Parts: sequence; structure tokens; C-alpha cells
Amino acid sequence: MPITLKDIAKMVGVAESTVSRAINGKPGVGKETKQKILEIAKKYDFQPNKLAQGLAKQETHILALLIPGLSKGNYSSLVENIEYIAEKDGYQIILCNTQNDLKKEKKYLNLLQEKRVDGAVILGGEIADQHIVNTVLRGHKNIVLVNRLCEEILIPTILIDASYGAYLATEYLINLGFENIGLITAAKNDEYIESEKIKGYKKALKDNMIEYNNELIIKTDGSREAGYLAFTQLVNIDINPDSFFVTSDLLTLGLIESIKMGGFFIPQDYPVVTYGDTLINSIIEPELTRVVEPLEKAGKLAAEVLINLINDDQAKEEIKVLKPTLKIGKSTKY
Amino acid sequence: MASVTFENVTKRFGEVVAANDQNIEIKDKEFLVLVGPSGCGKSTDLRMIAGLEEISEGVIKIGDKVVNDIPPKDRDIAMVFQNYALYPHMNVYDNMAFGLKLRKFPKEEIERRVQEAAEILSIEPLLERKPKQLSGGQRQRVALGRAIVREPKVFLMDEPLSNLDAKLRVQMRTELSKLHDRLKTTVIYVTHDQTEAMTMGDRIVVLKDGYVQQVDEPLELYNHPNNMFVAGFIGSPAMNFLDAKIVKEGDDYYTEGFGAFKVKIPDQLKDKVKDYVNKRVVFGIRPENLTDAEITHDLDITDENSFEAEVEVVEPMGSEIYLYLAVDEHSMIARVDAESEAKVGDKIKLGVYTQKMHVFDNETEEALF
Repeated sequence: MPITLKDIAKMVGVAESTVSRAINGKPGVGKETKQKILEIAKKYDFQPNKLAQGLAKQETHILALLIPGLSKGNYSSLVENIEYIAEKDGYQIILCNTQNDLKKEKKYLNLLQEKRVDGAVILGGEIADQHIVNTVLRGHKNIVLVNRLCEEILIPTILIDASYGAYLATEYLINLGFENIGLITAAKNDEYIESEKIKGYKKALKDNMIEYNNELIIKTDGSREAGYLAFTQLVNIDINPDSFFVTSDLLTLGLIESIKMGGFFIPQDYPVVTYGDTLINSIIEPELTRVVEPLEKAGKLAAEVLINLINDDQAKEEIKVLKPTLKIGKSTKY
Repeated sequence: MASVTFENVTKRFGEVVAANDQNIEIKDKEFLVLVGPSGCGKSTDLRMIAGLEEISEGVIKIGDKVVNDIPPKDRDIAMVFQNYALYPHMNVYDNMAFGLKLRKFPKEEIERRVQEAAEILSIEPLLERKPKQLSGGQRQRVALGRAIVREPKVFLMDEPLSNLDAKLRVQMRTELSKLHDRLKTTVIYVTHDQTEAMTMGDRIVVLKDGYVQQVDEPLELYNHPNNMFVAGFIGSPAMNFLDAKIVKEGDDYYTEGFGAFKVKIPDQLKDKVKDYVNKRVVFGIRPENLTDAEITHDLDITDENSFEAEVEVVEPMGSEIYLYLAVDEHSMIARVDAESEAKVGDKIKLGVYTQKMHVFDNETEEALF
């Protein structure tokens, strides 16, 4: 049985409130009494009861993590890192899978309004809808957005600059001497993040004074099959691409299969750069040169910003943009 | 472009009534300001129009369409707040365009809208710049641009200027008014600042505790307030209120301040006070409608439009002087011409422009005139 405030109070012969004041470093306790209390607390490894503390402060020490789905994107890595920091600071997390459904998202946000959680991190999902804005306007400000934009108001946000990642990948291929870089994207429906990657690709070409060719940009549904077909489609156009930048892992898998099936070699015939340090990308042969997003940093930062918000420790108006890096593998140089 | 109509709109948050049976008609292309002290329910009104708050009772229409059950995104409105997010890694163009991109507007359409908005806001040369290369006013314009590109029927603005420093705020006030002229769209603007309301609004709605106090054009509101709240809220320094009673002498009526003053009510207003003889009222007079009798050029001072007061504080403002005065138990402010030589401790004669005076019912605080 862990020792309680009551036990210590009995042992020292003072009131419970005195023990509480001594442990919390508040005034109104004599020096000797305080020392005695702290010694006993240390000796018996006194741990404050979080539930009782929470009840007193109307805090739950629970954070909600709203994610559009575990299988998409790199949410698992973000979630792990958020959880890591949260746990270190005495918070538990609950995972809320919204499946990109606004009604579900709204329902989970109610946890915040009903004070059943202390704060929420909302991951992905493109634009912050009215219910998020309204939650904040109603004074429930402990919300952090990750990779999600908001038009109307300023909500603390962590963003990963996907456009910059695509820029790095494209520039790297340009520096290796390639000019006709095939870009295979999952932007069939003009997905925002994918359009950001196209933007980065175009900017790298422009900065290096290479005219971009629309025919070299393939917008697909992001499937393995689409990656496979993209290769056959691209090699049949007039400007034969000399290299590829692929914006997601399943697409890359399909493309690599298609290149190999055609009897070509990577990187000798076609160097390939992929986006994302995912499991699939990590098992493709040859080892891929890839854009690595700072997911660990993003997750930790999101948790830290949220906990700071809860504790009122920092200005509530921050947007942090993190930049991806390039990890060189064996798929681009030989 | 559209009108916005409140028909008997009530909003309750548990026991608290944030909007009480409100009837407001906002005309198409009008710049309407909702003004009132904090907690008066002005932001709640705005959020009900936006669809961010449900309505407890009544009907809100945008154009002819009842929008009570229409979700925010389908209401064709755009909101502008004081705290907006400019993303540091995006240039001005992208900061204005991302909402349209996320809503999957065609590229050409996005370009047209951003260009047009940039033109209206005179920020075309800045489109390639990043937010950190912009001044405060330019950043504010980008935030407005983000709302403009949505081409909404109605703009809802919730204290958008309150984060700016005083000088920029004054400048942006003018810019917003000009912007409204160019956009030719309905703007509903919330502020707690009566100067902002007076300078920007085509009409103003004054709110208090969820009740509409008055809806009128700025000068009407200033010259003919419905009640003591409006009279005191609009105008700075505020209107002087002095306890008095109505007395009748012969055919004439006076406001009489229990020995401290006696001011004749203009003949054309006599009818409005004839039921108040010997009853308590509140005499209201704006500081600029009092004058130092020594330097008055346009008022014939008589015993019926003047009284003595003692100067307690003199505040020279440059072009004019604020005199803080005491008349027996009453205290008041007069805004007089800079020529006045009144000094602290002086007893001076104060002239009253009686055509500008107000009298309020002591119980209901409603204006008799």
C-alpha cells in the first residue's frame, strides 16, 4: 500500500493540509515540521495521487490524440513520440480514430469541452474545420494541430514542410546531373500535401533553370499498381525520364517492380528517390534514397506545446515549421 | 451579396442569456457594427450568423434563406479575427490560396481570386514575399485577403484590429472602410470600441446583456440615444448625467438640479416632459455642449441656460480643454475651446446648448428626448 498524506500527517502529528503544504512547497509550515514531513515522504517514497490532484484542479491528466487513421501516413511514429513525452510529464493519452469523418472528430473534441481530457492534438486532415475553430473560440484553447492548416484563427501548429522535402529530393537528382525527372504523386484528387510536393519539385527545377514538363508529372491514386503503371506510361512519352522522384511508399514499390520487370537497373538506368522513412520504403531493394520527415521531433514538440498550453507556460500563438532531410541510400548513385 | 436578418433570435448558454429576442435587419452591402461592452453578446451574434453557435429560438436568414440548420461551410460567409495564422514557410500568395486549394478549387480560379484580392488590397507586389518580410498592416491585409478570396456573401469580422498598435489601428480603420466600398459586400463587424463603431459603421447596433439597445446610423445614435446606456456608451468623454427634476413655471418647463442648476427646456420639447412635472429625471448633456460663458461666441448666456460650477481639474488637449467640474454634489466634464482661461478652483459660469440637452426617465432610463 503506498503511503498517503493522511499517513504522514498521523506520523508527524499534524493536519493533512500541513503535510500537503509542506510537500507542495507552500508557505505556512514551520521549518522543522517541514523537514520531518519531507524526510518521511522520501523514506516511504510518497507519490501524490494524480486522481485526487486532478479532481482538485479539475484536471484529468489525459490527452486526446485525434488521428485520421493509423494505417495512413506516418501517424504511428508521431503517436509514439507524443505518448513518450506525455507519459514523462504524467499524462496518459487516448487515441481517437476519426477516419477523417467530421462528425466523429466533433464528437471526440467534445471530450475537451466536457473536460474529460485536458487537451488534444489533432493530426493531419488538411484544414481545421469550423468545429475546431469554435472549440477554441469557446475558450477551450488546449489544442495543437499537426500538419493541419487553419484559415480563420491562430491555433498552435506543428507543420512538416513537405514542399521543402520534395525540393531536396529534386535538387539532389539535379545535382547528380539529371534533368528529366519523372514525378510520380498520389495527387489524383489534388490532395494538398501532394500538391505541396509538386510545388517543391517545380521550385527546384526553376531555381536550377530547368524548364518543367507537365508530361513528366503523373498524378495517381497512390496505389502500388498505379506506381507500376506510371513507369510504363512515362517511358512511352517523347521525353524519356532519366530519373524518378516518387512521393509515397506504395507508389515507389510499384515503380521499382515495374523498372525491374522491364529489365532495367536501379540506379544505373533509373535512379529513384522516394518520400518518407516508412517500413515499406525500408525493405525495398536497393536501399532507397529518401526524404525523411522529422516525425520524432514533430511528435515530441506537439506534446510539449500542448502540455505547456495546459500549464499556461508559453505564448499561445506559435506555428512551428519543421524541415525534412534527405537520407542517401543506394538507389541514386553507383 | 446578401442581407442578414435576425427574427426574434434568442441564445441561451444554460442560465445565461447571450441574445434576447433580437430583431436586427442588416441590409445588403451594408457595413454594420455590433458594439457593446464585453459580455454583451456581440460575438455570440456573429457566431450564430456563422453557424458556429446554434440558435435557441428564432430565425436567422441570409438573403431570403433561413440558415438555422445550414452548416457553417454552406453559409457563404468568411470570418476575420484578430488572431490569424500566417504560415511562415508560405509566401503571401500561398497564405491566401491554401484554403481554396484544400477545397479543391481549380487552379485558374484560385489564381484569379488571389490576384483580384491582391489588387483590392494593394498587395500585388508582395505576393512572393514571406510573412516575416511584411509589416503589421501588410500582414493584416493578407489575413483579409484570405477571407476575400472566398468571395463570401457576408464578411464577419470579430475585433480584427484589436491586436494592432494605436496608429496602425486608425490607419486600418480607414482601409477597411475603403475596402468595403470596393468589395460592395455586406460586412458585419464586432467591436467593443465605440470610436471604431462610429467611424466605420453605416449603421450601429448597440448591445447590452444580450438586448438590442438601439440600431441606428452613427450620428443618430450620438444625437438621439434611446436610453442612458447608449447615451453613455457612445461618445468620449461620455455624456454627463445629472440627477434632476422637472419643474414648471408659468408656461415654461425646467430641469432643476436640486438648487445646483436650472436649465430651461426648449419650447419644442415641452410636450415630452409635461407628464413629469415634479418627478425625478436624469439631465444629460455632452461635454461639448457645455461652454465656458466667458469665451462663448455663439450662445446668448442667460439665467435659463447657464449655471455656476467649480473647476476641479483642467486638462489641456491642445485644440481644446477638458474641464472637470463640480456643481454641489454633481460632477461633470466640459469640453471647451482652448481660449478658456479657467483655472483649478475658479468658479465659472457654464453655458448649456439647450437644443442638445437630453432628459431620461429616472426609472426606466429611457430617453424622453
